[in-house]
Amino acid sequence: MKNEKMVVKQMETTECLEGKNSHDESSEASPHREYHVRIDGEIVEMEVQFPTGEMLLKKVGKRSCAFELIEEFEHRENDVLEPDEKVDLRKHGLKGFITAHKEIVTIFINNNPYSIERGERTVSDILAKLGQTPEGYVLLEEKHGAPLPLPTDRPVKIFGCEIFYSQVQSGGSS
Amino acid sequence: MEYPKEQTDELKPYCSKLSSFTEGGVTFLYLEGLRLPVGCDPQVCDGLLCPVPREGYPSRLYLLVQVKSPYTRHWNVSNARIGEKNWFAFSWKVELESPTLVQILVAHLTGFTREK
Repeated sequence: MKNEKMVVKQMETTECLEGKNSHDESSEASPHREYHVRIDGEIVEMEVQFPTGEMLLKKVGKRSCAFELIEEFEHRENDVLEPDEKVDLRKHGLKGFITAHKEIVTIFINNNPYSIERGERTVSDILAKLGQTPEGYVLLEEKHGAPLPLPTDRPVKIFGCEIFYSQVQSGGSS
Repeated sequence: MEYPKEQTDELKPYCSKLSSFTEGGVTFLYLEGLRLPVGCDPQVCDGLLCPVPREGYPSRLYLLVQVKSPYTRHWNVSNARIGEKNWFAFSWKVELESPTLVQILVAHLTGFTREK
């Protein structure tokens, strides 16, 4: 099929090379369509017309636990798009998206999400989310699949999306 | 003695290669390229986990070098010859009820991150 791609980019938001102009969400599952979207100045391809904020962030290697996604419009103010909110890529006036690092990010402790301010935090700050203290618990940070204990005297850099586990303190010098 | 596969699998993310050998009736777990906690120097070092009682400890973690860490440790084993290599270990007692292998390893690694 010719001209199968739909293009959503700056100044051409509603341009549809295929000619179909339906906003029916059921049409998003149609195979072989691609939507070109501008995110942080980079053109990425989406396979659906109504992606969520999280899907769009993923296309540029980012996650909502650290970044927010902002819709940019031609003739109106920008709008924050929530991670689970769907957006119509053919929405009139949509120029594209930009991402911004959140100030309050999400980290995961023992597989549960917690909000925390980005920057340098202490082990105590993080354990306090669970009502625990370094005297009784060890804080582990998972990197590359291996949760390793964190020194209690060093700041922990929080960018968002970090994975932590707490474990009962079980060893000591003898 | 063989350790449960699901438990040895949990050790794999901590090292580049995991193997085992038996010496003197004890099965040691050799963790090649063991990743160490933040603040350690070196950051990666071969380790040898003995998850059963030895030298008066419920378990021991041997390392190929005396690792520098944020807290000074009492290295009470130097150049212990095991598996044709010389190993070092610091005094750190792990007391857990029915621990898994990874719990033992992490508890030993915690020794680098706490004062006592």
